[in-house]
Amino acid sequence: MQKEFSSVGRHEWDLPLGYIPDMRVSGRLFLSESLFGSLEEGAVRQLANVATLPGIIGHSFGMPDIHWGYGFPIGGVAAFSEEEGIISPGGVGFDINCGVRMITTPLNISDLGKMEDIIGRLYQQVPTGVGSKSAFRLSATALDDLLAHGASWAVSEGYGLPDDCIRCEEGGYMKEAVPENVSEKARKRGIPQCGTLGSGNHFLELQVVSEIRDQEAAATFGVQEGNVCCMIHCGSRGLGHQVCTDHLKTLEKATKKYGINLPDRQLSCAPLTSPEGESYFGAMAAAANYAWANRQIITHQVRTLFESAFGIAHTEMPLVYDVAHNVAKWEKHTVDGSERRVCVHRKGATRAFGPGRPELPAVYRKTGQPVIIPGSMGTASYLLAGTETAMEKTFGSTCHGAGRVSSRKEAKKTVRGAAVSAELKKQGIIVRAPSGDVIAEEAPEMYKSSDEVIRVVHEAGLSRIVARMMPLGVIKG
Amino acid sequence: MSIEELPHTADVRRRIRAESREELFSLAAKAMFAVLYPGECDHHSEKTMRVDADEPEDLLWEFLSDLLYTSEVESFVVCETVVRFTESGLVATLRGEPFQREKHEGGREIKGVSLSGLAIRTTGDMMSCDIIFDI
Repeated sequence: MQKEFSSVGRHEWDLPLGYIPDMRVSGRLFLSESLFGSLEEGAVRQLANVATLPGIIGHSFGMPDIHWGYGFPIGGVAAFSEEEGIISPGGVGFDINCGVRMITTPLNISDLGKMEDIIGRLYQQVPTGVGSKSAFRLSATALDDLLAHGASWAVSEGYGLPDDCIRCEEGGYMKEAVPENVSEKARKRGIPQCGTLGSGNHFLELQVVSEIRDQEAAATFGVQEGNVCCMIHCGSRGLGHQVCTDHLKTLEKATKKYGINLPDRQLSCAPLTSPEGESYFGAMAAAANYAWANRQIITHQVRTLFESAFGIAHTEMPLVYDVAHNVAKWEKHTVDGSERRVCVHRKGATRAFGPGRPELPAVYRKTGQPVIIPGSMGTASYLLAGTETAMEKTFGSTCHGAGRVSSRKEAKKTVRGAAVSAELKKQGIIVRAPSGDVIAEEAPEMYKSSDEVIRVVHEAGLSRIVARMMPLGVIKG
Repeated sequence: MSIEELPHTADVRRRIRAESREELFSLAAKAMFAVLYPGECDHHSEKTMRVDADEPEDLLWEFLSDLLYTSEVESFVVCETVVRFTESGLVATLRGEPFQREKHEGGREIKGVSLSGLAIRTTGDMMSCDIIFDI
């Protein structure tokens, strides 16, 4: 695939206009020579498809964890103008505001005791997998409040600390949420699932901070070498999935109504200023708020368990930050020298706002926002900081993970879950999941090297490394 | 008739081949539920579902999306669907049983049925379609 691209900077490549018909802008991919080896034609095609959408500004961007998805590629970013741009569920995905957060603890590995015990207790505490329901009871009225106020609703109900909301992207809720735009079907799916992890690549992982690369930023973020931390990766559950399904239908009709030609039906869209576009945006924002509340409730479950198991207070387990992976948001960016309000779609990508941005909490305004990048099960995760370069080059965006390199079919042919668990156990990493197939599909070798993906974003300047964390134990859904 | 597992890096992609439209829809449902609930399933109860849509692909997408919804909200594991087409869409009979963790866990949650590349093709006596399930 590399021959289709021309180099325009360190790890930065251009996919020219004309790669497919009707591209309005070129593609811009951030990749090392070695990562080109796993770049799929399907992902490049999807990168080009996005470039055909009305009102796209700059480029259709691909982060170094890019891989073949549907609609946008996973690892895709695009910004759209307020006047001519569109909004598309294909640029957000079914799992609206799937994201990740990280909490720190004052504990060291030796404080945890037998790893199987604490991982087993977490597996009992946090509902995971298909068919799981939350012990947490949510009324229909409470759901409306939750959809409007996200993490801050959960904190106001006692499921968190006041600082938690400050340390979430958007303060833990999108103010544009319109709960009335969330269907009865979506609500029915959402009521029993708040506080559940889900399945697939969602996880809860205990890690140890193994290396600090930027002492000053690490101190600001509250991470210390040797400390145990916890990463939670999940999204908006059935409620968000249903919001996407519901609005795909209306946006398909809108695509025809507004005369938009698309290379992929999953990119169905509507002008940002249209009733259909606004309706989806309001529902999507409400689903994003559900996801923030969901991660907040799970955070509370983890803190409660740690309090009981290790005698530490909730306040000793602060949130470092919470980032969204799948979302569309209004943001202000400098375009051709002037500040413009644009709608940035990130699908499998992370906001990486640099120093000085007014959206960041005061505590992070000097360092840039914390960027949390999980590795695959068994490999390193990273904490990075947002940069000026990301603001200039990618509308303040960076990668979101290691990025899959093999299909689930190949995974099951290549490895067995029991063998993966045994190998990880040899390395001191305990895994709990409902089935061996889940473990096989998520085996570390099915993903790109997180070290290489992070090297690319660091060297390309899209974010800078602050700390590296190694896994100790993980629960999968 | 067959369900073939096709490669897809992020999600689950299946190619369904059948001799009739009824069989194609039933097999697509079977493929979806095999991802969700890989264990055994017994026909303890029956439900009926009605779906309307203009285009065949839209009908298939709505059918699968509604099945996903029904299964999740009613905690109902579907073993078999029998599809009958009507003037405006279809009526499906769903046979299955309530979800039981010890019997049905271990599958992968499907977040949605993608419209990406969803097309029903007819070649000779056979019908086929490729479906991407987001997991």
